[in-house]
Amino acid sequence: MQKAVNITVKGRVQGVGFRPFIFALAKRYNVKGIVQNNMDGVFIHIEGDAYAVDQFIHSLPVEAPRLSCIDEMIVTAAQWQACNDFSIIPSERTGSSSLVIPIDTAVCNDCLREMYDPNDHRYRYPFINCTQCGPRYTIIEQLPYDRPFTSMYSFPMCKRCNEEYNDPMNRRHHAQPIACPACGPSIMLRNRDGKMVQGDAIEQARAYIQAGAIVAIKGLGGYHLACDATNERAVQQLRMRKQRPNRPLAVMAASVDIVEQLCDVTEEEKQLLTSPEAPIVVVKQRKNTMIASLVAPGLQTVGVMLPYTPLHHLLLDDQLPVIVMTSANRSGAPIIYEDERAFCDLQNIADYFLVHNRPIVHPLDDSVVQIENGNTHFIRRARGFVPDPLWTKQDVHEIVALGGQQKNVFAFGRHQQIFLGPHIGDLEHVEVIEHFEREYEHLRTWMGVTPKIIAVDLHPNYETWNIAKQWDADIVAVQHHHAHMVSCMEENHISTSCFGLILDGTGYGEDGHIWGFELLYGNALQYERIGHLTYTPLPGGERCAKEPWRTTVGMLGYYLGEEGYALAQQRFIERARDVDVLRQMIEKGLHSPLAGTCGRLFDAVSAFLYVCTHSTYDGEAAIRLSELIDDTKIYEAYPFNVERRETWEIDLKEMWRAIIRDVDDGVQTNTVAGRFHETVVQASVEMVRLALQQHPTYERNIVLSGGSMHNRYIVKRLRQEFSQLGFNVYTHQKVPCNDGGLALGQLMIAAHRRGQACV
Amino acid sequence: MERITLAHGDGGELAHKLITDVFVSTFRNERHAKFDAATFALGTHELAVTTDSFVIKPIFFPGGNIGKLAVAGTINDLAVVGAIPKVLTCSFIIEEGFPIRHLKTVVQSMAEEAKKTNVAIVAGDTKVVERGSADGLYINTTGIGIISHPLERNMDEGDSVIVSGSVGDHGVAVLVARGELGLVSTIESDCTSLYLLVAKALEASQRIRLMRDPTRGGLATTLVEICEDFGVTIELEEECIPVKKEVKGACELLGFDPLYLANEGKVVMIVPKEDEQAVLDALRSQPEGKDAAVIGTVRATNKGQLLLRTPLGTTRRLYRLTGLMLPRIC
Ligand SMILES: [Fe+3]
Ligand SMILES: [Mg+2]
Ligand SMILES: [Zn+2]
Ligand SMILES: [Zn+2]
Repeated sequence: MQKAVNITVKGRVQGVGFRPFIFALAKRYNVKGIVQNNMDGVFIHIEGDAYAVDQFIHSLPVEAPRLSCIDEMIVTAAQWQACNDFSIIPSERTGSSSLVIPIDTAVCNDCLREMYDPNDHRYRYPFINCTQCGPRYTIIEQLPYDRPFTSMYSFPMCKRCNEEYNDPMNRRHHAQPIACPACGPSIMLRNRDGKMVQGDAIEQARAYIQAGAIVAIKGLGGYHLACDATNERAVQQLRMRKQRPNRPLAVMAASVDIVEQLCDVTEEEKQLLTSPEAPIVVVKQRKNTMIASLVAPGLQTVGVMLPYTPLHHLLLDDQLPVIVMTSANRSGAPIIYEDERAFCDLQNIADYFLVHNRPIVHPLDDSVVQIENGNTHFIRRARGFVPDPLWTKQDVHEIVALGGQQKNVFAFGRHQQIFLGPHIGDLEHVEVIEHFEREYEHLRTWMGVTPKIIAVDLHPNYETWNIAKQWDADIVAVQHHHAHMVSCMEENHISTSCFGLILDGTGYGEDGHIWGFELLYGNALQYERIGHLTYTPLPGGERCAKEPWRTTVGMLGYYLGEEGYALAQQRFIERARDVDVLRQMIEKGLHSPLAGTCGRLFDAVSAFLYVCTHSTYDGEAAIRLSELIDDTKIYEAYPFNVERRETWEIDLKEMWRAIIRDVDDGVQTNTVAGRFHETVVQASVEMVRLALQQHPTYERNIVLSGGSMHNRYIVKRLRQEFSQLGFNVYTHQKVPCNDGGLALGQLMIAAHRRGQACV
Repeated sequence: MERITLAHGDGGELAHKLITDVFVSTFRNERHAKFDAATFALGTHELAVTTDSFVIKPIFFPGGNIGKLAVAGTINDLAVVGAIPKVLTCSFIIEEGFPIRHLKTVVQSMAEEAKKTNVAIVAGDTKVVERGSADGLYINTTGIGIISHPLERNMDEGDSVIVSGSVGDHGVAVLVARGELGLVSTIESDCTSLYLLVAKALEASQRIRLMRDPTRGGLATTLVEICEDFGVTIELEEECIPVKKEVKGACELLGFDPLYLANEGKVVMIVPKEDEQAVLDALRSQPEGKDAAVIGTVRATNKGQLLLRTPLGTTRRLYRLTGLMLPRIC
């Protein structure tokens, strides 16, 4: 029996050797037809023996090239076209708009094998790479991706490399960064004075790290600061010099085996660790391992990655199995990637500099992910994923979204592709704004897109307004949590109205107050606010994020009045007089904005329980509170009320009374924290239940988004509870639930509003 | 309907918008008000004129009262455009029931403050309004001076930015004096006339580019205005800006930034780098200028931005005071 089908494959399928792979596959199964790149991805027509066609379809996703990533594969029956053979035909739409920018990936096993082979001419060469691995985005100056337009242009290929490069049968055929010890980049170790350290740079660097030194290492997307992760004193030094008292530091382990010794890792986590993208994976640390306690103080988890450049592989071994690898930057400033800047800014931090002479063109942070319920959950989407596009059904051409204030990521649309930029950082700093403008301009030029519409957050004081106003384009202001909601809808391909439960830090609300614990219902065009957490004052405004005890004062005072303030004075005894001042501020309405946010609620409880009264990094109070609980348990919720006011409002007076009682009775902090978590879950569920009663016809789809959705317990329990209510529950898998995913939602909302304007 | 809010009067972003949208666009004076006083020629004389209304609450505060403030404020506006303050007029709007005893005290301080600088109060007016129509006492003053040192007004890359002393004292003193916040502090308002101090500086350097008195909106708002009006970028060093410990403490507690708090006895100057030391010495020779400091540098001459280098080595861009300071941390 004969059969003909068309196959459309979407995802990362261009520039990764996909068409030669399909060609080979077609030859193997003896099917005829064509393969072609188009705007959607790759289009394939095959025809032949029905069994062979089915075999082809089965093998395609299983054997796809290492770097490819199939988002969708659509197979449809097709007309028999009586093809004579199988051929690769030119792209349907050529020109700049279909150019793909390849991602940076971890060194492949073939290259590693060569690197460890004493007979290979690239033996121990730290810049070995091939078509399936190595640097890409970070070294590209201009498109098309071709050696002269990369930072490899200053390294003319030697005869041997040149032969490999030009040989179609060689695995380095057209590998743009191809290099060998004779012609390619080289490494060196310098001390603080800039003097070169004699001897084998890597061996020396390893010895210094083992001896407790801090070494700045130039990597793929920027500099890291490294020290021995098992050396408590070295880690303490690093923290002191970097002025990072508590923020968890990532580690790099020599191998999966080492990771397994240190952490409890699942199969999925192992897969992620060893993937070509090689992100930092946040995993549960085992008790009493050799990792210094100062690496992730107060946390059960640790961010771990495997060596992803040949250099890392050479540095780490049994002698040095695990090192701290934290990106080198001044607090709040972007990752350092230029040699001079590194040498100058890290003078007082690093003892040695392990550097190389291949310039980094585009700085790129390590990606950070965690596995939740078997799904990849991004905390930061950067190296290995940027600038892979997302695909959408909507026309998003010439729309740009500028993202949030912190954890800024921008996005722009080209036809039906959405490009999310790299992690930019906190736009409070001028250096970060410059970084934004530079990276944005590069990507924009590459894409050949001139934006007509700019989507920005509604918050009048976000820096993105100042960026937007410089450009000649229409500005669309998008409410923060609506953007979070639509971001999650978009990546789950939901276009009809649904519920959105957004548990977040702070975002500017349409009523001028601070939102962040929101139940919304709507789509990319519009939404209604169905419910939220009752507003309480934040005395001192933005300062509350750094000083959670202030939020506690605001909440206790709001819910319990006189008694609440008195209690706050007892709890924060050394601040008793300040509590009085805060109370006056609240009562006079001086610099005490009203807020109903999940992030600040976590802060308030965390500070009340003395888990964290002052945060030294983003979300520290909330993170440390969540680390106290056992997320395999289900706790009992405290009492609470959901009341019908203008919308449904969660009132936590009863919860606070119960927490106060428990603390008085000496109940363990872990238990109080656990019960608080469950209260957040139950209050959210109750709010949704009431909303359903009120609107029985509303769709039973719910998206979960906002920064607090990083909390494993909260997400897991919400998923269980909403499923029981008959909901389809959707979470983020491709972009972060925090503000790193905001731009995606902003972009989709702007696209739909443009559609509306045309009608 | 758009209405005036209190934020329209705080000297910040909204006040700037109000002035631009309502007044500048209607009065259409080509000489856009970039200075604290307007200068003009009358016959052979170069003159300066300024007018100001004072509505402070409370009327009496540590370090001064509304009368002293009214006279000093007007003298300062004249002094910072390089003028010798000569005459003042004053106008009082008084609420029915206001104690005459208090009025006498206020007027007495006005006389004393004017005498320090040898300024004559030459005309006045009083209006009494019904109880409740005003809050105690408002004073308007207008001052005229003769220009003695026309300022250069052209800034160069590398010029130094100097402030004559600690910032935020007045703002905190008044907040404490209101007694509403339960704040305790011994900080006094810096309210004082600066003519003599400014004269010393002008003697020390013939090339002072520009002077402003950073009142409402604070040092930051004043410098933002300079940056925008003259198209220069100024980079401040956070660590160099003098802030009294008590002011810092109060600001930390309230979540305020001392750079946005009002000053009533400070002058900020832009001077060529070569004259920096001479001006500093001149300022420091006077009691009102003893804490004078170089706080920053003029960077490029086109961007119009005010930047602040933090002790951590990063840079923040500063804007005008905004009425609403809402948290941006998500
Ligand atoms: Fe957010
Ligand atoms: Mg004035
Ligand atoms: Zn390879
Ligand atoms: Zn070579």
